[in-house]
Amino acid sequence: MQDLEMRHLNGPEVGWDGQKAMEKAKALLRRGTFFSNYIIAFVIILTLNFVLPRMMPGDPLQAIYGEEALLAMTPQLEAELVSRLALDQSIGQQFVAYILALLSGDLGHSYYYNQEVLSVILDFLPWTLLLTGTALVISTLAGLILGIESGYRRGRQLDKTLLAGLMFLSGFPDFFMGIVLLLVFGVVMGMVPLSGALTPYSGLEGLPLALDILHHLLAPLAALVLVRVTSAYLLTRNTMITTLKENFILTARAKGCTEGQIKYRHAGRNSLLPVVTATGLLIPHLITGALFVEIVFSYPGVGWLLYNALLTRDYPLIQGILLMVTVAVLLANLLVDLLYSKLDPRVSHAR
Amino acid sequence: MLEICDLKVSYDETEILAGVDLDLLRGDSLAIIGESGAGKTTLGLAVMGLLEERASGRILLDGKDILSLDEKEMRKMRGKDIAMVFQNVEDALDPLMTVSDQIQEAISAHLEKGDPREVDDRVRRLLKSVGLNEDKGGSFPHQLSGGEKQRALIAMALANDPQVLILDEPTASLDAVTKAEITCLLRERIREKIVLVITHDISTAAKLAEKMAVLYAGRIVELGDTKDLLENPRHPYTRGLIRSSPNMTTTKDLQGIPGRMVHGVPGCPFSDRCTQRIDRCRREVPLLKEAGDRMIACHRGGIVPLLELSDVKTSFGDFAAVDGVDLTLYEGETIALVGESGSGKTTLAKTVIGLFEMDDGEGEIRLEGEVLTRRGRDFYKKVQMIYQNPKESISHRMNVLEAIAEPLEVQKAGSPSERRAIVKRVLEEVELPTDDAFLKKYPHQISGGEAQRVAIARALVLNPKLLIADEPTSALDASVQAKILKLLLNLQEKRGLAILFITHDIALARKVSDRMAVMLKGKIVEEGPTSDVTTCPVHPYTMKLLEVVAPHLAPMRGARETRDGSGGLWEVSEVPPLRAREL
Ligand code: SF4
Repeated sequence: MQDLEMRHLNGPEVGWDGQKAMEKAKALLRRGTFFSNYIIAFVIILTLNFVLPRMMPGDPLQAIYGEEALLAMTPQLEAELVSRLALDQSIGQQFVAYILALLSGDLGHSYYYNQEVLSVILDFLPWTLLLTGTALVISTLAGLILGIESGYRRGRQLDKTLLAGLMFLSGFPDFFMGIVLLLVFGVVMGMVPLSGALTPYSGLEGLPLALDILHHLLAPLAALVLVRVTSAYLLTRNTMITTLKENFILTARAKGCTEGQIKYRHAGRNSLLPVVTATGLLIPHLITGALFVEIVFSYPGVGWLLYNALLTRDYPLIQGILLMVTVAVLLANLLVDLLYSKLDPRVSHAR
Repeated sequence: MLEICDLKVSYDETEILAGVDLDLLRGDSLAIIGESGAGKTTLGLAVMGLLEERASGRILLDGKDILSLDEKEMRKMRGKDIAMVFQNVEDALDPLMTVSDQIQEAISAHLEKGDPREVDDRVRRLLKSVGLNEDKGGSFPHQLSGGEKQRALIAMALANDPQVLILDEPTASLDAVTKAEITCLLRERIREKIVLVITHDISTAAKLAEKMAVLYAGRIVELGDTKDLLENPRHPYTRGLIRSSPNMTTTKDLQGIPGRMVHGVPGCPFSDRCTQRIDRCRREVPLLKEAGDRMIACHRGGIVPLLELSDVKTSFGDFAAVDGVDLTLYEGETIALVGESGSGKTTLAKTVIGLFEMDDGEGEIRLEGEVLTRRGRDFYKKVQMIYQNPKESISHRMNVLEAIAEPLEVQKAGSPSERRAIVKRVLEEVELPTDDAFLKKYPHQISGGEAQRVAIARALVLNPKLLIADEPTSALDASVQAKILKLLLNLQEKRGLAILFITHDIALARKVSDRMAVMLKGKIVEEGPTSDVTTCPVHPYTMKLLEVVAPHLAPMRGARETRDGSGGLWEVSEVPPLRAREL
């Protein structure tokens, strides 16, 4: 791949061999800076997570574990915790201990669940991933398709209807939309379950299990998608309108391309790029939205877990979740960036 | 065969195309030239069926009316029967697709079901035919140079070997060398097709098309063979357009066209800017009519001949100072009459203005088509003369105001206060002060340059059509001379003034004239476009005149004498007609 890329870069005017090496070095450097941004961000997050509780006034142990956990604490346990966190040693050594613990997957111990924080989170994480992942994919795809069709028919009936309708929907906060859906479809019409991610103790397997999960997913997913689809839609529609004015659209029409080819292959693909970028920026927003929706639907995801941890002041769990969420946001952004450079040759095949 | 009949396109109430008719056969190449906004691109897009506005009229390709086709049928023709090469602007190619993919798309769009290998093969052949390396095909547009992108666009248009090819500014935004390469490539590839070249770049048009149509405000105003049209433009707009386009061989300073183009003017679209407009022009739209070797849309049949001399002779006793001169001066043009003193230039000028009697006989002088018999007031309203020495035209007993207002008085035009206003306006035109102090000055109180301006103002106050200028600047400093000449050219641009410029200085003549006539012993020995006469003189006397002023240029001139078709005004490749006349 790299070689192929280099070949295109070499016009007939390239005179010396060193150029190739230079280009390669530059490409590596670019890639290096690209990843280093993420590494720096990651290190900062870790450091903050380490420093903040230790800078709180009073006993660091109290800051880390919360008052209530300490009430039930025996001196023996306390000693164990102090040595585990290396609280009796210098700050530097504390940091090393902290990093080593993280590396071994140790996020601390939840006294409420009486379980390692990591394993608690891992129990709840799949549901959140399912919910946010599908919400992200569906809202982006739907936004794209609606935006492309709407932008292509700018000013006509379909465009006007979609525009007005989606603008209206985007006005609601997620949890409100969730409550409305829950009331209408769950309580009044009884079409969807009121809580949970699957029917407990049903003993279902295979397809029926999948359908059951889907049935539970439907309402919270709809709440997230309905509120979120508008931003992708609006952005796509606007980009589409400008893209359609670009000259390559005229070139494509002059070639005799069909309407579908012009709409999707040319205008659509070119309108996709800003949407991908924006989607990356919207991920944190989506995650916070998911937290609220999970609470409304008592959906056993990380949001619901966080809510309960807050209620029970389960400090280690709260910190673990926050760390997880920030890392997830970071990862999602990284994925979007990688995807973007795959989609846009001007980034990956820079001249 | 492509026939366009009465094509009209309106956009927001304004008519962008106001009835265009064209007939093109296989192998024809036609350039559509004109300023931006004239409707050139609209015309191209209409033929492609890509207009968003509704068009009326007919566009027939082999008898099938393109305008009546629905989008589906039209799509099948686009890129197959009719293709367009677009200007290589920033985003003429899809930035996300490789060049090969984009060319391939042009092929597959018209294939029911293509063998992928065969399509690939065709893409490769196309790349080669436009001079692109095969591995350039895998590149994305941003990796290519402007010329390479233009080549890709050409390959795309040629993909299905279309019958009609429209080139929309095919070389704009390219540097000169690339431009030449692309032009060369296009010339190769467009043979045997019907080609429409849409451009504002006259030299590109001249290289690519055999015929040329000048579009103005949605109407064709002149149509003819490229070479004839450029060497001898006959519509006032065409002449203005050519005068304002730089090329390597024109010698006269660039001149613009007064005013700007507006669509939807009643009558002749050019009437607001035309300097030879008559009443009828505002009322009726002139139709494109056959006129000699071309078609012209003008009520006056194009640029009118203002002054026609045929076989004019003036003798003093037995000595024939002017010995049978034929010369035509058109509206708004400058002819430089050059020759040494004693060649009869001034005698000719004075014969025209009526200071000398013309010999009886066959000779004739016509002004605006009418034979001059006696010169009354009407004549002097139309023809004025300025001399080398301004004192010849201004009496030393008159102050500036009186001197300039005198012709008005003779013509009994207006009241004293109106005259004063007119004088002030003319003074402004010749860039002189208009305050009372200046108006009261006498000739000896002003400088030579100012005096000549006053003389010009006096000559212009009646708004003449023809100005005879006999060595008007030879008594002035170089810097003043430059200003006076600029002034004359500006007045020409604004009023369509025709100037018969008499001088012994061929270098000076070269900068101010459209055509040049060389006089020797009472006869005109060589006459032609100034750039031709000065770059490849044919008569030995002209060569001598040139050698005196520019000895170092002599060998080059010798080389150009036998032109191989590469030189010339607009590089139209054909040997120009012989201009020399036998003595
Ligand atoms: S003379 Fe009249 S018709 Fe001819 S170009 Fe001028 S305005 Fe138009």
